Amino acid sequence: MTENPRFCFHCGEPVPANCMLTIEAKDGLQPVCCSGCEAVANLILQSGQSRYYQFRTENAIKPTEEDGAIEDSWKRYDERSSLWGSPLKNGRYELLLQVEGIRCAACAWLIRSQLEARQGIDQVQVDVATGFVRINWQPDKLHLSRIAAILAGVGYRPHLPLAGAESMGRQTERRYALKRLGVAGLGMMQVMMFAAGLYAGDAMGIAEGPERFLQLISLIVTTPVLLYSGRVFYSSAWRSLSHRRVGMDVPVALAISIAFIMSCINFLTGNGHVYFDSVVMFIFFLSLGRYAELVIRHQNLQTGLALARLLPEWAELVRDEQTEKVPATDLRIADQVRVRAGQTFPADGLVTRGSTEVDEALLTGESRPIKKHIGDMVIAGSINRSQTIEFEVSKDPDDSTVSVMGRMLLKSQTHRSRYTRLSERYAGWFVAVVLVVAGLTALWWLTHDVTMLFPATLAVLVISCPCALSLATPAAIASSSRALLEQGVLLTRSEALEILGSIDTVVFDKTGTLTSGSPSIVNTVINPALEEYDEEAVLHIAALLEIDSSHPISKAFTDIQVERGAVRDIINHENGVEGRVDGTLYRLGNAAFTHVNVIDFTGGLGRLWLVDDNGWIARFDLDDGLRDSAVETMAALRERGLDLIILSGDHPQAVASVADRTGINSWHAEQSPRMKMDFLETLQNNGKTVLMVGDGINDAPVLSLANVSMTVSGASELANSTADFIITGKSLKYITYILETGDRTRAVIRQNLWWALAYNLLAVPFAAAGLIVPWMAALGMSLSSLLVVLNSGRLAKRKLDIEQTFSRRTVTQ
Amino acid sequence: MSILYVLIPLALVLLALAVWALLWAIKNGQFDDLESHGWSVVLDDDQKPPPMEEDSSVTEKEEQAGQ
Repeated sequence: MTENPRFCFHCGEPVPANCMLTIEAKDGLQPVCCSGCEAVANLILQSGQSRYYQFRTENAIKPTEEDGAIEDSWKRYDERSSLWGSPLKNGRYELLLQVEGIRCAACAWLIRSQLEARQGIDQVQVDVATGFVRINWQPDKLHLSRIAAILAGVGYRPHLPLAGAESMGRQTERRYALKRLGVAGLGMMQVMMFAAGLYAGDAMGIAEGPERFLQLISLIVTTPVLLYSGRVFYSSAWRSLSHRRVGMDVPVALAISIAFIMSCINFLTGNGHVYFDSVVMFIFFLSLGRYAELVIRHQNLQTGLALARLLPEWAELVRDEQTEKVPATDLRIADQVRVRAGQTFPADGLVTRGSTEVDEALLTGESRPIKKHIGDMVIAGSINRSQTIEFEVSKDPDDSTVSVMGRMLLKSQTHRSRYTRLSERYAGWFVAVVLVVAGLTALWWLTHDVTMLFPATLAVLVISCPCALSLATPAAIASSSRALLEQGVLLTRSEALEILGSIDTVVFDKTGTLTSGSPSIVNTVINPALEEYDEEAVLHIAALLEIDSSHPISKAFTDIQVERGAVRDIINHENGVEGRVDGTLYRLGNAAFTHVNVIDFTGGLGRLWLVDDNGWIARFDLDDGLRDSAVETMAALRERGLDLIILSGDHPQAVASVADRTGINSWHAEQSPRMKMDFLETLQNNGKTVLMVGDGINDAPVLSLANVSMTVSGASELANSTADFIITGKSLKYITYILETGDRTRAVIRQNLWWALAYNLLAVPFAAAGLIVPWMAALGMSLSSLLVVLNSGRLAKRKLDIEQTFSRRTVTQ
Repeated sequence: MSILYVLIPLALVLLALAVWALLWAIKNGQFDDLESHGWSVVLDDDQKPPPMEEDSSVTEKEEQAGQ
């Protein structure tokens, strides 16, 4: 363990202890974690754009080796004019690229200033929310591959402009929402202005001519706002009614319709007040809330093309002993494809030449690489770990395991059991009651005093305007989501906070969720016959030997600080490494490699032996390391009375080991995504409300099926795009923190709802009796809404330190 | 006060213009990136990025254009 973990200047990831790369920044030498980050940071600094580092609010993504070769792979698209974007005038084109890694305004600035300085690029627009870059360019001055290379050069990964349809849809949605908001805002300003005149007229007297004129103008301005900006509430209300539910938008639609129609009648009959200002103001504020919700949702969904990104965009097609790079989507059955070490398989198929080890962890959850020989099946999306091989495509890209999983995911998302929100349940009753009271009021005044009919009925409707009620939930959720965000948890589906309260079962994935997904040393045994070695010494020697190894096992040793110069003559073999430390030749590897005469052990992630010429010195037992505070978190969850279950695709021994260490009794191993979904459905059919915590691609369909879902740090983009909570911190403590935030949020929502209800119970009788004039009603309505907002604000202010949240739980244990 | 009958319809015309301008601007993507342009004041581009190695695509095209 290092005492002062260093973090990469560029990407912010921890720098491995054995990495000594630095770059010269403004304030002296700064560590970087890899040569990719070094190159990108150097380019940015040399371009005089060091201010990027000063102003950015998010860390950059870590560049990969593929980024360097991006120009070559894009070259064959240079001449395909269909990919240049939509043609403009004078041989210019407008290109829309989805770019990975755009995280804050500083990124947008960096990309713009890098691209706009080039000849042939006229204008660049960067949409931080959706990750789109729009480039006006001239293909006869610059190649498409050059643009890709420039983007990759500063650390952003461009994707082929093929699959933009879905993201384009998102942009259209956002623009439409903005248009509605803008129209409502402009309309509101005008109508409020005229309303000021009318209110002043009420107080000081106004001639009938101007009064009716102002009312007419208000009507003229309000109508388009209602029809354009308010339409979305009507369609949503209609949708929920056609599902036989009284949704939140039903009272909204009713309130604006009634206020509008009443105002029209009052205007036409020429007596009574008009409430056009309330109509537009209501529409504007609701649109504002909806727009904010939409922007947050889109920011979290920047992973729109997650599934496509999992597969490589290029494949190396073998034809007559020659290889040719083709887009992966062009592959057909019986094509021969070459896959080099470190690359991802572009399609499902059978190995035809060579043998290798394949990492299918993302797809199946199996943490150990799997050996593949001629005739074995490989799946698209898995990673080739050791040797270059060739395989024959056996399924069209559309039918590959990954694509099928994608379709499964879509299906489970559409079938997701809809949760009726707390406030919706109240709102249904509330609206019904208000309508009945308003009807009774109208009836009573009709038989007693017709002149009071409209003012009294309207006062009832205005004073009981479901403002406070409609704000009760969103305001509380917005505050909580802000507090969560400050702790590094993204909330993507607001209902999730409400549903958390009814959770009774928590299902965990194993690899990458409960465990960190990389090997760690769980036990070190030193040969009792040798006295000159202690644990520190053998770990030190092992770390030195593994210093240059790219084998996944070497990750177990990267936390140990060593000096590069202390080791010589390192040779990396397939099953181990050898090298000289202080003149002694050591070998480190499995039993076969080190010639240790034991039956090799298969539990965990295996054992490593350290030997010299005289025999064995030490043994390291490796296992998938548990995530930070996994054990305490499980204890805390159990204390809350939750059932804990592990569902893993890994083999039984590995799952049993983790279950044992975390104290979870119920576990199921070797589960395919299909089986996981079935398991979850059975749970839900038995009346359980399930929280699923996962991270892998294979968890995505299950995550979206669960009532609430969370992903942990390092989760795949696909999993993130289906999760309700995205935890960015490494610790599992966040789970208990989120549950507590959910508790507090629901408490505040309940307070808000009771307040709104109590206020109405108090005010409605006065209004029905005709004792409240409409302006008092409007004031009361605003005050009650304000109180709800202030009460909800407490959620954001009372920040809980995660450490504290946690220790409180464990102390009470 | 009869000037109101002229001024307010005039204001409505301006409002219609404003709405049209707003819708036009949104349609043209003027509101897609609300953050980074504000920064360009602080982060002035007094230094251009150095030409990247093998930046041949540009020079080739320039030569061709010059011929």
